Amino acid sequence: MTTRGIDFKALSLKDALDLAVLVEEEAKERYEDFAAQMDQHRTPDAARFFRYMALNEAKHGEALAARRAELFGSAPSAVTRAMIFDIEAPDFDAARAFMSPRQAMKAALASEVKAHAFFVEALPALKDAAVKALFEELRDEEVQHQDLVQAELAKLPPDSGLSDEDFVDEPTAQ
Amino acid sequence: MSANATCEFQAKDYKSDLKPIWCPGCGDYSVVQGIYRALAAVGRPPHEVAFISGIGCSSRIPGYTTAYGFNTVHGRALPIAQGIKLANPDLLVLAAGGDGDGFSIGGGHIAHLIRRNIDITYLVMDNQIYGLTKGQLSPTSQKGRTTCTSPYGSLENPVNPLLYVLAYGAGFVAQASPTDLAGMAAIIEEAIRFPGFAFVNIQSPCVTYGEEVQQIKGLKAISENLASLGHNPADRLAAMDLAQHYGEKLHLGVFYRNPEPAPTYDALIRERQAALSKDAPPKERILDLFIKK
Ligand SMILES: Cc1ncc(C[n+]2csc(CCOP(=O)(O)OP(=O)(O)O)c2C)c(N)n1
Ligand code: SF4
Ligand SMILES: [Mg+2]
Repeated sequence: MTTRGIDFKALSLKDALDLAVLVEEEAKERYEDFAAQMDQHRTPDAARFFRYMALNEAKHGEALAARRAELFGSAPSAVTRAMIFDIEAPDFDAARAFMSPRQAMKAALASEVKAHAFFVEALPALKDAAVKALFEELRDEEVQHQDLVQAELAKLPPDSGLSDEDFVDEPTAQ
Repeated sequence: MSANATCEFQAKDYKSDLKPIWCPGCGDYSVVQGIYRALAAVGRPPHEVAFISGIGCSSRIPGYTTAYGFNTVHGRALPIAQGIKLANPDLLVLAAGGDGDGFSIGGGHIAHLIRRNIDITYLVMDNQIYGLTKGQLSPTSQKGRTTCTSPYGSLENPVNPLLYVLAYGAGFVAQASPTDLAGMAAIIEEAIRFPGFAFVNIQSPCVTYGEEVQQIKGLKAISENLASLGHNPADRLAAMDLAQHYGEKLHLGVFYRNPEPAPTYDALIRERQAALSKDAPPKERILDLFIKK
């Protein structure tokens, strides 16, 4: 979870909204990548969950983009994807082969916690009142996202305690 | 568009439609992201980039980009990349592969690309193991490592890739890791921009056959940023001193950047061609040389 070249003190509402859209876009793409990895490893339940997360991130991104368009039209953006790294997107190494739905949900939960921490950390540096209000809103939304994942976790039947990894063959010399 | 023209590209412009088949969690997923970002920052269009690899999990990487790619033969990424650069010097040429590909079967090639100073960027995804063939000892595996080919523990000292390339005189030597994706993208970008042979050793964990200490958490625990240590990348001897800690510490950043880059082999060849063809007849008259007057 890092940023590069963003001056939070000078962040305008337009740039803050663009940043929020990029954060959602990054998370959406990562979940799509994870879903593709799960497809590749024939783990459809985890793939389905990651697709559900990608859809949620896309929805939030679209809502934020619409707000941005309403307030600032097509004014050029000063923030780019190159400035953000793994803010709400789960870390690349959070995925594993043969993930159970529970493991997939826990990875998503961890990334929502990470995103919440990002907004909490960024808040003290902000100067603009409207940007502050937006970051507070986004911070609180991350808590709602966590609740959403917790709700999905609660629906799962209890774990057998076994994982497919328990049945993986040891490597052999080639 | 001219070969050196730059325009606005985004990381996604370098991402191909092919879905990676690496194990989920593999460090190489981050490496390819770092490459997309570096290429976007450099801004050369994908069709002006040639990406050459050997064989291994890491060597699949060109297929996941929109650049021209060639997944060649085990250990032979460098000679093929060299040939491509000499045949078409206007291409931006990247070579990539694993620690086995680069320092075992292909280890002999590096010296020659370095001494010729071929203008390519070589990215090694060092995971201290043969990933693709399921976890055998690699040239960078640490001494004592137990694998299926060293069931009682390895008796061999590992190759130190950083010292290896520094000793041969590479003009640009750096190390990166997915523990710092932003830093990795910046280092790859710098390597691409360096005029001459540039080497980046990327500690890219193998989640399936790698050891616990070689995973992201373990790597973070031993990583130190060269810039924050006050290292001067123009000082080659200081770079060699730091490079000795390969395997114990993970130094991230540029070890060495030659402040006065030597001319590249491709540039020298073009110079020589121009000098030798100064008095040559025009191309359309070339056959006249073979016709008896
Ligand atoms: C000539 C030849 N010898 C051996 C092999 C088998 N082989 C394929 S990949 C590989 C090693 C892979 O390790 P590395 O280069 O470190 O890449 P990784 O899979 O770890 O990314 C070996 C020995 C081969 N394909 N060709
Ligand atoms: S075996 Fe290791 S190096 Fe190969 S894809 Fe899997 S995690 Fe990556
Ligand atoms: Mg390897």
